[in-house]
Amino acid sequence: MATAGTSAEKPSLRKPQKPFYFNTSENLLRIESQKANNLSELLAALKTCPDDSIFQHTFRTLQEHHFIRQGFSNDFAHWSVFACNEPALAEQLAGVDIREFTAIEGLRRRMVEILDEFLDLHNMSGDRPAHEPFYFCASDIVVLPTAFCADTLPAFLDGLNQVTIHSIHHHFIEARLRLQRMSNDFSEWLREQAGLSQSAGDIERIDMYANTMEGVRRQIARIVSQAMN
Amino acid sequence: MSSDEPRALTASPGGETQAPDDVRGRELERRLPHPGRRATDRRNNRPLPASVLTPPTPAPAPHLDDYRAIVGQGQLDTLRFLAKEVQGKTIKLVNSTAVGGGVAEMLNRMVPLLSELEVPTHWDVITGGNDFFEITKAFHNALHGAPYELTQAAKNIFLMYNEQNRQRMHFGEDLVVIHDPQPVGLILSRPQTRANWVWRCHVDLSNPNLAVWEFLRPLVEQFDAAIFSSQSFARQLPIPQYLFYPCIDPLSEKNKEMPDWQIQQICDEFGIDRSRPVVTQVSRFDRLKDPVGVVQAYKLAKKYVDCQLVLAGGGATDDPEGATVLQEVKEAAGSDPDIIILDLPPWCAVQINAIQRASTIIVQKSLKEGFGLTVTEALWKGKPTIAGAAGGIPNQIMHKLTGVLVHSVEGCAFQIRYLLTHPEFARSIGTAGREQVKENFLMTTNAKRWLLLFRILEQGKARRGHAA
Repeated sequence: MATAGTSAEKPSLRKPQKPFYFNTSENLLRIESQKANNLSELLAALKTCPDDSIFQHTFRTLQEHHFIRQGFSNDFAHWSVFACNEPALAEQLAGVDIREFTAIEGLRRRMVEILDEFLDLHNMSGDRPAHEPFYFCASDIVVLPTAFCADTLPAFLDGLNQVTIHSIHHHFIEARLRLQRMSNDFSEWLREQAGLSQSAGDIERIDMYANTMEGVRRQIARIVSQAMN
Repeated sequence: MSSDEPRALTASPGGETQAPDDVRGRELERRLPHPGRRATDRRNNRPLPASVLTPPTPAPAPHLDDYRAIVGQGQLDTLRFLAKEVQGKTIKLVNSTAVGGGVAEMLNRMVPLLSELEVPTHWDVITGGNDFFEITKAFHNALHGAPYELTQAAKNIFLMYNEQNRQRMHFGEDLVVIHDPQPVGLILSRPQTRANWVWRCHVDLSNPNLAVWEFLRPLVEQFDAAIFSSQSFARQLPIPQYLFYPCIDPLSEKNKEMPDWQIQQICDEFGIDRSRPVVTQVSRFDRLKDPVGVVQAYKLAKKYVDCQLVLAGGGATDDPEGATVLQEVKEAAGSDPDIIILDLPPWCAVQINAIQRASTIIVQKSLKEGFGLTVTEALWKGKPTIAGAAGGIPNQIMHKLTGVLVHSVEGCAFQIRYLLTHPEFARSIGTAGREQVKENFLMTTNAKRWLLLFRILEQGKARRGHAA
């Protein structure tokens, strides 16, 4: 299990100047026109599909499968192993950590590189039919407010514990594309408004791939609680 | 009854009542108490328990707040917020039957939920003669890929009844949702309305009879959006296509929590021994559900693990093929006393709920499937589920994560053995499966999808208005 929130240094607390508004995002899945019947077609489609599709099958799918503790990272990796029986490729695709990307273009390039290299080495694999096609989807996303707004750390903790998992995903995972930084809304607010740099860093190091989203919520709450006590 | 024979309990018609000719009539007939229905075991004359012989009084529809304990306050807040944004606007839903079938069942639950959210929702049903419904039934089968020769006369009848309904109906709402192909011709009213029009297709269009599809396509393309139940069911269309999974109501009789004493009572009535593992498939006696394959898989597994097999379903009393399949299942079962075959009337939701909850493993070994709501029901009950990788089932079961997918009798047998001997793994996929349903396949999630779509379409309309 990932460990975070182990800072020994007692942080200095200050009253936040700006409140933290807990928002959430909801999405509607759109079926796109592209589909792949084998790995070569996946590669071709990955190069040309809309950014929304890359986002859907990497960032967004983590929310849809937030309850899976292990073995799920993105739809491309999942399809590679279960429809194409290519565990080595799946491992590489699953190893792509979306936290390292603040723009979809970079993430797309990395996926294309991995698939390109794999098909160079395994040229028989490209045209072998998959058990089932990969259907490209995308999302229409709507950001909504929640009932929670925090101007103190206890209120922040209360909101954190009560909002939906979709809100946690919105602030913790999707935020990096919005912020275009290797961070998240929680860490940004704790660092800038509450002066909790160490806690903010600890939250950034939470391994979401080895946790359910509920597990992520619990770890953030623990880090904030430790900072308050 | 000899103790070494499979226990086959069935509700079979006792009288020779001629069912009405038209499809809707037969649909209704199936769901009403049959005056001559006499419940017996065809082989052993053992009656079904009296508790299943008459339909129960329908329970009142739940209120939104009743879902709080299941989905949490946050989800209800989201629904209320989304609803507020379209408050004052109205929805019309149109389909072809008020009773029978999954669509009517879903609409029965969805309409009060949306109305409680102060989005007034009206449900209208098209009318037509026997000739119309015979044609739409043939269209339905053809869209699933069955051979069919489309004639000009059939086209004319289809369009004529659609036109009659179009003249009869008023479309003053802001969102009009047309369910399935039968009422698709109503789209011709679109230019005279302010509404966004959506086609909700519950049919698998992945391999349609092209003559029928090409006849319907120009009508479908006039909608503002189309909705399918699976990515694989969609067609290439010039309008946005959305994915709405079918859903279950966690508070319905078939899915709500029930006390253990009630589960035990129902198991006792059917002779299910809960002290030993129970493997169950719930489905109509239909070859596409492969009940004989399930019996074969059970027999292979039984060489290594102790278990009972329950095959619970219906369809054998009102469908000639169903009766044949039931007979084949009984023959495959042979004299095994641990195989319990239940041919239940369609109103046995509570009994099905109890049997699913009493099961150690649930199987749905379909060879072809729509979405597979029986899989959804099994997953919701936290049961480790083995299912054929067909239709919409892979949308629900991620292999080894939220259940297991199989492609053969042998694969199914192995997974029965594996799950019965690895309870920790079985528990973990059962838990994840329930979460999968909670996230994606509950009535409340579907209400949210409708509200999101409504909002997105309204925004699109406003943008178009500004541009004009």
